[in-house]
Amino acid sequence: MSLKDRAWFPIVYMFGITLLLSTILIIFGTLTRKRVKENETVAFERAVLEALPIDLPAAVTPNQIHSIYVSDIREANDSSAGALRYVKEDTLKGFALPLEGPGFWAPIKGVIGIEPDGLTITGIAFYEQNETPGLGGEITKSTFRDQFKGKKIAETETPLQIRNPSEALDGSSVHAITGATQTSNRLAAFLNAYLLEWRKQRMDRKW
Amino acid sequence: MVGRKKTKDVVLTAVWGENPVFRQILGICSALAVTNLVLNTMVMGAAVIFTTALSGFTVSLLRKYTPRIIRMMVEVLIIAFYVILFDQALKAYWPDMSGNLGPYVGLIITNCIIMGRAEAFANNNPPLLSFVDGFSSGAGYSLVLICVAVVRELLGMGSLMGIPVPFFSSALWDRWIIMVMPPGAFFTLAVIVWLARTMQKDTEEKKTKGSK
Repeated sequence: MSLKDRAWFPIVYMFGITLLLSTILIIFGTLTRKRVKENETVAFERAVLEALPIDLPAAVTPNQIHSIYVSDIREANDSSAGALRYVKEDTLKGFALPLEGPGFWAPIKGVIGIEPDGLTITGIAFYEQNETPGLGGEITKSTFRDQFKGKKIAETETPLQIRNPSEALDGSSVHAITGATQTSNRLAAFLNAYLLEWRKQRMDRKW
Repeated sequence: MVGRKKTKDVVLTAVWGENPVFRQILGICSALAVTNLVLNTMVMGAAVIFTTALSGFTVSLLRKYTPRIIRMMVEVLIIAFYVILFDQALKAYWPDMSGNLGPYVGLIITNCIIMGRAEAFANNNPPLLSFVDGFSSGAGYSLVLICVAVVRELLGMGSLMGIPVPFFSSALWDRWIIMVMPPGAFFTLAVIVWLARTMQKDTEEKKTKGSK
């Protein structure tokens, strides 16, 4: 009876192969883990800088982004209600509020920038999304994002409206990507939830 | 040593004669999902070529030792191994692309082309020839996907590889939004399968006439 015909052979064989291949994967995973983590951090930092907005050179390297972030961005404190603070020469220049919520296909994560007055929006940027390219995916394009600049957080239940492209705009609304893009609706839902909460926390702080 | 004639046959069969997408209608899921941008499609194709070629090679290398009753488990394990390797490398060195492709790289594990080649070819053929067969099957798959992607990106976004194409990116061209959406992939793939099958029919007829 050869080795291959023994009843225990398939079990040992499978175990051996699994052990070998998983070991290689674990080693490779460990070697790249630091890099993967860094990529995620830089993607977030970049979104924060773009939302504020801090101008970045066209061919900016991950290291440059990281050093600008480290020098200009401070952690959230009591008065910022969960938003990161942009501080330059000891003066507060703006807030960067991280957001996340469900998109049409997968979670959307982004950052919205607000002026020190706590009312005027400076910009918005997304660092994680998986929306349909050409449709929902357009939220990452400047045509959509530039609309937010200068808009005011209104004192209503929906502080920032995302309206159908056929409707008129005011100082607190922007146009959706199309009249039927689910991404716009879902973004509007969680963006407003965050802004409401932020406004509420800052109000509580004042009294 | 693998005969040159045999290698050529394997390549031609895999890329054209028995092309996995338009002859065997395999791997359709990802063919529909990742073909709205040419660049994404090329990376996806590279991932499939990498996996089919190396998993074919490995399965074939182990074919004399693997007990038959667990051979499919072993095949899946080997395929998953290469896919995870590629996915992890993409996450570390090309994070933007990894984000674009989302879960589809991981889903290559379930791509029937790869399992199909391991079962149908690598199990009974020497490692190098299995490598060539896997590589060619992956290339045949990528070729069709790139054709689909070119049509979809050009008509749907007016660009190729992200570069705007004259006329299609201008105001004269009303972008076909449906091309970017999944239905656009169905239409395009169907037309390409139809064209390819029509061309194959011609060559088949010529062959039979010639032999008479």
